Amino acid sequence: MTTTENDMRTNPGVLSGYRVLDFGWVLAGALPGMVLADMGAEVIKVETRQRLDYMRMGRPIVGDQPDPEQNPMFHNVNRGKLSVTLNIAEPEAVELAKGLASRCDVVIENFSPGVMDRLGLGYEALRGVKPDIIMASISSTGQEGPLRDLRAYAPSIGSLSGLDSTMGYEGGGPLGLKHAFGDICGALHAVFAISSALFHRNRTGQGQYIDVSMLRATVVTQGVGLMEQALTGRSLQPRGNHDPTMAPYGNYPCAGEDKWVSIAVKSEEEWESLVRAMASPAWAADDRFTSQFRRQRHRRELDALLSRWTAQKDAEAVTELLQSHGVAAAPVLGAEERLFHPHFMERGLYSDTEHPALGAEPVFNLMWNLSKSPSRVRRHAPLLGEHNREVLCGHLGLSEERLAELEERRVVY
Amino acid sequence: MTYPLLSGLRVLEIGSMISAPYCGKLLADAGASVVKVEPPGAGEEARRYGPWPDDVPHPERSGLYLYLNSNKAGITANLETPTGRSIMRRLAAKSDAVVHNVPPADMERLGLDYDALSAEHPGLVMASISPWGLSGPWRDYKAYDINLAAAGGICEGLGEADREPLTFGTPEVGYFAGMAAASSIVMALLGRDTHGGQHIDIAEAETMAGLYNGPEALMAVYEWRVTRRTGHHALDFPYPNCILRCKDGHIFVGSPEGRQWRRLLEIMGNPEWSQEQRFRNRTAMNNLYADEVDGYVEAWLADYTKAELLEIALENRIPLAPVRTYEEVRSDPSLEDLFVVIERDDTGPVAYPGAPYRLPEAEASAPKPAPTLGQHNRAVLCDELGYTGADLVKLYQIGII
Repeated sequence: MTTTENDMRTNPGVLSGYRVLDFGWVLAGALPGMVLADMGAEVIKVETRQRLDYMRMGRPIVGDQPDPEQNPMFHNVNRGKLSVTLNIAEPEAVELAKGLASRCDVVIENFSPGVMDRLGLGYEALRGVKPDIIMASISSTGQEGPLRDLRAYAPSIGSLSGLDSTMGYEGGGPLGLKHAFGDICGALHAVFAISSALFHRNRTGQGQYIDVSMLRATVVTQGVGLMEQALTGRSLQPRGNHDPTMAPYGNYPCAGEDKWVSIAVKSEEEWESLVRAMASPAWAADDRFTSQFRRQRHRRELDALLSRWTAQKDAEAVTELLQSHGVAAAPVLGAEERLFHPHFMERGLYSDTEHPALGAEPVFNLMWNLSKSPSRVRRHAPLLGEHNREVLCGHLGLSEERLAELEERRVVY
Repeated sequence: MTYPLLSGLRVLEIGSMISAPYCGKLLADAGASVVKVEPPGAGEEARRYGPWPDDVPHPERSGLYLYLNSNKAGITANLETPTGRSIMRRLAAKSDAVVHNVPPADMERLGLDYDALSAEHPGLVMASISPWGLSGPWRDYKAYDINLAAAGGICEGLGEADREPLTFGTPEVGYFAGMAAASSIVMALLGRDTHGGQHIDIAEAETMAGLYNGPEALMAVYEWRVTRRTGHHALDFPYPNCILRCKDGHIFVGSPEGRQWRRLLEIMGNPEWSQEQRFRNRTAMNNLYADEVDGYVEAWLADYTKAELLEIALENRIPLAPVRTYEEVRSDPSLEDLFVVIERDDTGPVAYPGAPYRLPEAEASAPKPAPTLGQHNRAVLCDELGYTGADLVKLYQIGII
């Protein structure tokens, strides 16, 4: 019995029994398979030494030079998967991939639009070998349309979707969001559509083709900005830390080097609690701050005075003091602070895992806490081709000799 | 568009603002029957958030509410009354799933927590969305969007070094919690035959600190790279990887691949500055000379509009992307079928974003407008729970619905 089987028996995930063929790579394509694996599905990652998943060679680089087996980012977003190396530029490898697809419930890919069709692995071809297959294609800007062939990376999606247009200081230019917001939004919407398509297939026997673009997935999260434009004709501009229903609302300086605490006050009751927590300073009784309406109007003066109060205090201490009075507050946490924060640690946001090439390493957890079958990291990220024998001989019935010969000819490669 | 993937599924939503309502919307747009419960009188908070047509506030015309609640049925119930709670329990008993973002302590106080509801309905799947989760030292702490962004790692790297850290320009965290809850619910239902009902604990802060920013935190472990606020530039990327000014606005200019940068320089006429020795290494160029080079590139960009630069990007396969205003997003022909016009008497026709995935093999149907407050009281309470018309009048008179 392999470790995988062992794990699945002791704690079957909610998707146990479902099998996924995962051509996804880098981030947006790799995440849906990671999520499905954390929830218990058997996810077979198809990759090739001919053209390595960029993330295997990307940063951070552990050691002197990039090593495809030592990338912690890759390990995080591919944990729980099995790896099969198929050089799908070779027709024989394409046939093997189709054979695997015929034994899978779901196929995921995020090559440039049109690539799967050209390889003979498009939806029509896969439906030919598995009539109720569910195939999800994830792309930057969609499988069709005028932007289909635009070279677009995570920051491009932030710009095209409207997300960046409000990110910046009031009166200044857009700064740009330095995260892969679009990749994550695209991946999560793909997971939802895949799960729902499985639900539908189980009831009707029908498969599905799912076209998810990172652009659309990000646009739908722009509810406030899009509706403002639709109903008032205004396009929002950068506006700093601002919410139309709250004041104070912002990040305020604390003691220490570049430490900040976020504070947000909505109701009169919360304002009174904040004033009590500050031991009722004289300025808080000033006419400018006696109602929510006035506080909104004088929010810059309010921010300045509140900053003076927070400036000499510890961000965690301000958080605890305000929360104990029923006021929403939280420190601006840096990366290491999130790793070691008592709340996140008690909840198990990160796990220590063992990887055969890298040794002990932390991985983040999905934290979809289903009471009987929570998400969990089920095995280490696979070495390149680690499961060639298990999958190709096991699922497809290839002989050892045949596998060796295919490896020799770099079909399995 | 609405697709029939989850048709037959019954979902009860007790949601306000974004997280639970977005979960309900995802399920409703995929075909589930979603009944949304709101407090009688004022309804949920999104009705007071806006924006409104012509800036005239009205609880039935709040844009955020109308967007996030299309395709749902709406009822009212005062959960502070025994009858209101009984209505909830009876509806939950007829539902496959419940999603809420009422604070967990309040759900317990009201006798509407998972233990209470599942006692009568063991197959129930219930998703509780809360800021910090159902356990841990911060479980009862409050949070609004900026607090979750701050603790979740959004703010630390956004902004200028000498100014305060920034958050998203509009509330965003709730969408991620909604996505996590919606997928978790469908997965729990996929496994219901073997696992039975389940209680799902989704913490909004962890949707940011985990999946969204978890990998970023690990960069700190392996490189001890401290994320810094460096304005519109980001350290340690090859130049260019930033938003710059052009003729009519701003444009993202990137070139992770060397050939993309060489092509961009060609288009710019291989300017003299680009031949300088100190610009050989593009990461050094980014970390040491970015402001200076911005000036050179912006001098070229100043002659081109965003639309012209997008054409140049498409023709030459280089990653330029206009920073679009919401008006420009709405008029993008490639998103034409994303926006769906829904007509309500009190707003007229308005185009809302529909499901962000396309299903060419599935039958798509037009979405229904968001409910007016208590619009489906009769349909749900009389037709499904057996109240009479006279009961309905009485429930209204005594402030329960």
